[in-house]
Amino acid sequence: MKGMAGLVVFGLAGLLGLGIAGIWPRPEFPNPDPIARDWDVENVVAAIVLGVRLWDTLFEVLVYALAMVGVRFFLGKMQWRGELPPLAETPLLRRSADLLFCPILVFALYVAVSGHIGPGGGFPAGIILGSGLLLLALAKGVERLSAELYEPRLEGLEYAAVSATLLLGAVVLIVGVRSSSAFVAGNLLIGLEVAIGAWVVLHRFVLARGEV
Amino acid sequence: MILSALAFGLALFALTQRRLLWGVLGVGAHSLTLAGLYLALSAPDVALTEAAVGFGLVTLIYLLALRRTGKLVVAACPLYPLLYQEGERVAGLEWEILERFARWCHRDVEILWVSRQEIPRLLQTGEAHVGAGGFLPAPEDKALFSRPIVSTKLVCLKLNDGPLGAIAGEPGQELASITYEDAAELAHALVRGEIGGAVVDLLRQREWQLHRFISDVSDTTISEEKWFTFAVAPDEEELWKSLEEFLDMLEKTGVLEELRRRYLG
Repeated sequence: MKGMAGLVVFGLAGLLGLGIAGIWPRPEFPNPDPIARDWDVENVVAAIVLGVRLWDTLFEVLVYALAMVGVRFFLGKMQWRGELPPLAETPLLRRSADLLFCPILVFALYVAVSGHIGPGGGFPAGIILGSGLLLLALAKGVERLSAELYEPRLEGLEYAAVSATLLLGAVVLIVGVRSSSAFVAGNLLIGLEVAIGAWVVLHRFVLARGEV
Repeated sequence: MILSALAFGLALFALTQRRLLWGVLGVGAHSLTLAGLYLALSAPDVALTEAAVGFGLVTLIYLLALRRTGKLVVAACPLYPLLYQEGERVAGLEWEILERFARWCHRDVEILWVSRQEIPRLLQTGEAHVGAGGFLPAPEDKALFSRPIVSTKLVCLKLNDGPLGAIAGEPGQELASITYEDAAELAHALVRGEIGGAVVDLLRQREWQLHRFISDVSDTTISEEKWFTFAVAPDEEELWKSLEEFLDMLEKTGVLEELRRRYLG
């Protein structure tokens, strides 16, 4: 058994070495520039993610939304009833989180909106916004932040964003619209969905376990 | 190349840190280096996502979780200069060490006040992580012991020729014929004259003298030097290792010596 495992590891390492040395495999990549021109954007990655492979992205969005619904459904009944010790107040963290949240929000918007021109896009933008929310949660405590963010409305917004993304996808795929404005809208919607999804999932876990 | 080496080094750093906070910071720095690597490989989109997810989201989630990593449950029996309650507050030499240790490994201390013979049982069942207070290791105790904290000796306090008493679970019980649940019961028995003498350690004797439980007794030292230690639950080897490391650090920086001087004179 150990010999087999060693052989497998050795073989994999050999393959990796061949790949790094450029001996085998030697894939020939097509020139991506025509794709970007074809979809009327400058960032090739955006053209691939939201253009050529739009089906993949749409299903990823669906899977993400489904994961959120699953967490909400299964953790909904498990509410933590134990007593929580109060969190220590840290003025430094509190103030810096307050100061940092707005720049983070603006940066997330920038990353989403400029995704078709330079590096960026909906997923990183959503994650950046989600990190900003987490930073606030770290400073204020999850309970207090969740009291300020009304969750049912957030979820409504999330479902609306998913539906709008699907609708946009349908427009792009069926009608054949190829313009950068569709990319901007798609990135914004995906960013919104990812950010809200990250927050809702984290909040559900905290509600169910009560550890944080 | 340099970035790859740095990423590898940071991953190793994150894995080997005993302090969770350093580990989390190591993971964050590792993600950031990976993002730099992707950037160098001309994949700025992937780099941005890696930085946002790996450095931002994951680090923040870990930090959020670190704010409450759990409790350090200490089973203890009170003994005056080591670990005792002063009104609402807990104080003592061992308390100072435990408090610092808990802060060091990001835990909250919770103290269960129990009798001496309960401590090994609680450690065995895992209900407590650390045994402290007047904890003199007896040969039959199964636990991981830390390095010696405070030295003491067993003394025999004799009032008259009656039988000897001791606290159940302490090493002195072998020499005594009657055992009592805790020190207060032993002291009362001694004062009421149920027993003629008690086998206790030097610190307990000093506590009694301070509270004027006993006076006019003849005391004889009957044992070699013994040591108060912390006992760690047998399944908590990691905790024991970090406690040892922490005590080592205290000893090297001279804090332990200073604490001993402050509490024991």
